Amino acid sequence: MDLAASAVPVEAPTVPGNRGIWVGILCELSEFALMFLAWAWFRHVHPDDFHAGPAMLNAGAGIANTVVMLTSGYLAVRAVLAIRRGDGIAARNWLIATLCGGLAFLLIKAFEFRWNIEHGVVGTGNSFVAMYYYLTFNHLVHVVWGCLGLIWAILRAQFGAYSAADHEGLEAAVLYWHATDLAWIVIFPLLYVLH
Amino acid sequence: MTKIDENRATVVWLGLLALTLGSAWLGEGALPAGLTAAVVAVIVGLKGMLVIRHYMGLAEPGSRLRMAMRLYFVVVPALILVSAAQGA
Repeated sequence: MDLAASAVPVEAPTVPGNRGIWVGILCELSEFALMFLAWAWFRHVHPDDFHAGPAMLNAGAGIANTVVMLTSGYLAVRAVLAIRRGDGIAARNWLIATLCGGLAFLLIKAFEFRWNIEHGVVGTGNSFVAMYYYLTFNHLVHVVWGCLGLIWAILRAQFGAYSAADHEGLEAAVLYWHATDLAWIVIFPLLYVLH
Repeated sequence: MTKIDENRATVVWLGLLALTLGSAWLGEGALPAGLTAAVVAVIVGLKGMLVIRHYMGLAEPGSRLRMAMRLYFVVVPALILVSAAQGA
């Protein structure tokens, strides 16, 4: 008797979004993990730069951006909940609100970089400042990618591509957005809090 | 069910904001550096776990993906602690 054939099939574990977006998310977080290691290394080698570093930055901009990212993530969750109950219009509107959060993040970052230049925070000769720019520019690129993903999901939602039964693409765009949020959750204290 | 999910998401969001403000307060130098690093490590870990569980929906017990994501938010806080210990 073939036991394998008679066995009750085991259901594969469900993955939010799709497998492809998780490859992207794990690659993104691995990339940031290497940068966090670099942060620890340079902090060890140049402790004075890192001790004085956070006081050189505009902490208000860092806090504002953290609040904006977390709020934007919350709005993205609401978009997923809306599409799960079959309300495509509400899902689209929540996605637009999420995107507004992303754009606000970019605007605050632009203000912060301008403030940095006015206050002489430039990435030459100081390990902390160089690390700050590498981490934040890299994160900025991911925010831009995330915004493009959200725009795509908004357009698809607008044309009724998602339903309660099929909204994998919307979930994938939202998951990528959360991954960008996760990276910022680490970046914020490394740059703005830890003296 | 959806209403419960919405309420839960709102509570998690408010919790994340509260943890962020706590981190910001630590940035003012309110505590000694070592203690600041310890509290920051805990806050980073907590925020990461909340986002993974409630925002990303990785809630399935035994999921390797959930395990890998949660491990990330154990290793990174540990890195913060090691870095702080070396700087002490």
